[in-house]
Amino acid sequence: MTARIFTGIEDKLGLDKFKAFHKPHLTLEKKDVDQKKLVEEKLFICPAKVYTLNDKNEMVISFENCLECGTCRVVCPEEIGWEYPMGGHGVTYRFG
Amino acid sequence: MSEDKFDVIIVGGGPAGLAAAFVLAKAGKQVIVLERGEYCGSKNVFGGILFTGILEKLIPDYLKDAPLERNVTRRGFSLLTPTGELGGGFKFDKFNTAPFNNSFTTLRAKFDNWFAGKAEEAGAMIITGATVDDFLYDTDGKIKGVKARMDDGDILGDVVILADGVNSLLAKKIKLHKELDPKYTIVAVKEIIQLTEEKVADRFHLNGNEGAALEYFGCAAKGAVGAGFVYTNKDTISIGLGASIKSLMEHKLNPNDALEYFKNHPAIAPLIRGGEQREYSAHLIPDGGYDHISKLFTDNVLVAGDAAGFVNNTLFHEGTNLAMQSGVSAAETVIEAGTRKDFSAASLSVYKTKLEESFVLRDLKQFRKTTDALDANPQLFEKYPKMLEELVSELFTPDGEPKWDKEMKLMGKLLKQESPWGLIKTALAMRRVII
Repeated sequence: MTARIFTGIEDKLGLDKFKAFHKPHLTLEKKDVDQKKLVEEKLFICPAKVYTLNDKNEMVISFENCLECGTCRVVCPEEIGWEYPMGGHGVTYRFG
Repeated sequence: MSEDKFDVIIVGGGPAGLAAAFVLAKAGKQVIVLERGEYCGSKNVFGGILFTGILEKLIPDYLKDAPLERNVTRRGFSLLTPTGELGGGFKFDKFNTAPFNNSFTTLRAKFDNWFAGKAEEAGAMIITGATVDDFLYDTDGKIKGVKARMDDGDILGDVVILADGVNSLLAKKIKLHKELDPKYTIVAVKEIIQLTEEKVADRFHLNGNEGAALEYFGCAAKGAVGAGFVYTNKDTISIGLGASIKSLMEHKLNPNDALEYFKNHPAIAPLIRGGEQREYSAHLIPDGGYDHISKLFTDNVLVAGDAAGFVNNTLFHEGTNLAMQSGVSAAETVIEAGTRKDFSAASLSVYKTKLEESFVLRDLKQFRKTTDALDANPQLFEKYPKMLEELVSELFTPDGEPKWDKEMKLMGKLLKQESPWGLIKTALAMRRVII
């Protein structure tokens, strides 16, 4: 049997165990910023592809997919509000 | 919990926090560990080698039941070129008997949870699912505890040890740590790939429980400043890639795309062929070295492990042992300060002295130029590996041309692409990275 091979982030996230909390732990702090530019020029780097654009070029934050690495904090310290998810929630690594 | 007061509050149940908790509990201190994950280890990721020199001092019989994967007998260091690799490494049979070179491939979800159990047995209280957001202050503005996001989350203690990892929001809140700098921070992504024990052993030339740790430099990260790794666990492979955030931004490269490039590289693909992916993870690595560590103490607070920036990202790739040593030193500092009943910054400053005398800060000091040297020489990650592949592959292609003529021709070719001064400058910079 040949194993499935996932190359895309969305599929890879499906391997992980998440427990979503209803309240987002990631927020857009600067509402007046060009969201398209922010995603395309900076937040493209997110290894979990949490930040995407909808068809109106507004930023969508899929915080429930967050791997809690902090890369977005480093590239957007002003624009993105970042806190840890509620205790016991978010990603739970089984290997790590 | 507000009516209880602890001697020490530790934020974070990783190697630094748990080592501190273990030492403090053994000394009879009332110690509480607050871990935000479902269990200790559930939020923690590393490449994959646990260095156990410090652990052995704490728990001499750890080999009896610690959840370790394989003892590393083989370490490889390769320069990836566009289509191949130039490699070296070592494998010593003496690494196959205790203490096994103090190097074991490990999975953190299992190990940290085990270590937490040991700290608990020693008498530490461990609370999981507890995210700490802030400190508690007394009327003089002195830190007297922490605020966890839970019912009765105000927790009082004489001292707080911040072992809350690379992002340490708490250390930043009280200005012990500046915001992370993209140049001095690595984002690493990793996959766990399932094979079988037999396949792992055969593919990596391993006997019994031997393990291999292979590091890949050069163009591992698709031209960005970064490196890849392949570590063998019992029946899985830890494969991952870390790159400077600054360099990934400049290359407009998502870390997963860099990892996919690495996994599909002709030198790497056969190592994981046919395996089944089990987990995908991402984590930051502090890469500033000695000149970018946090302030290590203030009144009633100490910082340890990744939160302080204690990672040796050179050829040695050490982190967990620095974390554990800093946890032990923090604990010893608190015990000494306790006899003086003085937890002021002046009293806790001995922590820095202890670390300056230990391998933690001595090693970081020795390699303090590594990150700057790599950042200043991006040719190491694309241009040079390409040149090397061309030269070595031509030199080793017998085609009737005398070797001398060939060498002269290749030398000319090399000097057309790079000046002698450029080569010397790079070699000198690399000396800082290796010794």
